[in-house]
Amino acid sequence: MASEQSGAEDEPPSLLWGLDPVFSAYARLYIKDILQIRESRQVPGIYFYKNHPLFQVDVLGTVVYKREREDFYCYGVDDSTGVINCLCWKDEKWRDQGDSVKGKGHGGVFNVEEQLRKLCEAQRSRCMLEIGDLLQVRGSLKTSREQREIMASSFYKVSDPVMDVQIARMLDMPQLYRDCYNKPFQVPCAELEAGTTDAGGASNIQSMLGQSVRILKEFLKVKEVPKFRPYDEATSVGPSFPTQVKNLLKETLKLLQREGEIFRKVLSPDELYHVTEQDKDLLAAIRDVIQEDSKREKYAEKGCHILHVLSSVRQRYSRNLSREALEVALKFLECNSDIISTTDSHYTVL
Amino acid sequence: MLPSPAVFHFLWEINTHLVEDGASVRTFAHLHHLGLFGRLRLTSYLPEESKAILTSHHASMQHQVSVQTTFVEPFDPIVGAQYVTLGEIDKAEGCSEAILRARVLNCVDGVDVALLQKAINEQRNFFKERDNEAGAQ
Repeated sequence: MASEQSGAEDEPPSLLWGLDPVFSAYARLYIKDILQIRESRQVPGIYFYKNHPLFQVDVLGTVVYKREREDFYCYGVDDSTGVINCLCWKDEKWRDQGDSVKGKGHGGVFNVEEQLRKLCEAQRSRCMLEIGDLLQVRGSLKTSREQREIMASSFYKVSDPVMDVQIARMLDMPQLYRDCYNKPFQVPCAELEAGTTDAGGASNIQSMLGQSVRILKEFLKVKEVPKFRPYDEATSVGPSFPTQVKNLLKETLKLLQREGEIFRKVLSPDELYHVTEQDKDLLAAIRDVIQEDSKREKYAEKGCHILHVLSSVRQRYSRNLSREALEVALKFLECNSDIISTTDSHYTVL
Repeated sequence: MLPSPAVFHFLWEINTHLVEDGASVRTFAHLHHLGLFGRLRLTSYLPEESKAILTSHHASMQHQVSVQTTFVEPFDPIVGAQYVTLGEIDKAEGCSEAILRARVLNCVDGVDVALLQKAINEQRNFFKERDNEAGAQ
């Protein structure tokens, strides 16, 4: 099975994972596959089906095992290809309800307490399942003590009296695999290649670059990445990733640097990028400079000029800091109400 | 400890070599006859065996399987209705008929049997294709 050939298949570099739509989706795989897919060598907690990175799955199956604890249920789910444990947290809201809210029925009048109680009951019954019930789970995949489990982010009992739901799913899955999961994750470098050869080449590359910048920015934001290297493992960028892709990555990083979204704190052979908005040390340094200097008589009224802040932070934190990166950081701090801008280029704290 | 996955099988496959002794299966059929000797009568102290018989028609033959319902009692039997059941097969030596020890027994009366069969075959073909591809590599 492909899962055993982990050495032979190169993992795409983690920086490009956001380009694969499967990465952001709850993958509908057979439980058999979920149990067998391999874990990433670059980032633990991410798994690979063929060369699609994923960490969230969606399963539908019969409950064949149940264990209840105070805080959660553990349901063993069987979809006829495999069985997996799903950890389903109990909702605090309906845990303490019990008999405390029992409204007296005011015949005919809408009784809020009564309706609330019924709502809680309905919610609770959708989450409390018995062996034989059909369960739909969406959650993140985890490996704990060498056992694969799903940490449910949402789960509920499915009413399926004539098996319509299960039948539909059984018919859909093979097609889903053919259309999506079994097709390899391909960074659109082929288009990039075509783009350089014809007249419309320049604009193609521009739009490709624009897209790639957007995707990378979002990935760094969503995953809250504070710093990174373009290729965390030299071996992960194997021969399967052509130069076009590496060039695209290089251009993307150049552009993001120019915009100030990322920066290199130290110019050394080690290509380490800091993500401006996530660099807590940088933000603290800027805040401290403005806070301290705003107290001085010289800056008390108007605040600190951006160039002053720039030279102070360069002394304290990084000689390499660009004005663009500082501007991104200042904007971020202002959005968080840590600092205030008094003019277009002056900043202070209250 | 989690049980083994219960693979879908058609009723007529259960008594053949396709299903081994001890295998976990799920299947669907009509509830033909129910013998709950201990429950309906006032002889609750007798350790009577709870048994249901499921039947299905295929290729103009009637097939049946005995289902031991100990784990799924009490349940409301509707004789003649369609059920789906999930459990382990017991093919004792010398017995012509296999027994299914049911862990799950759900009434699904009204199920579109033809569509269910089609779905099971689709799934089987998909896995067969995939195994062939993997084997060829």
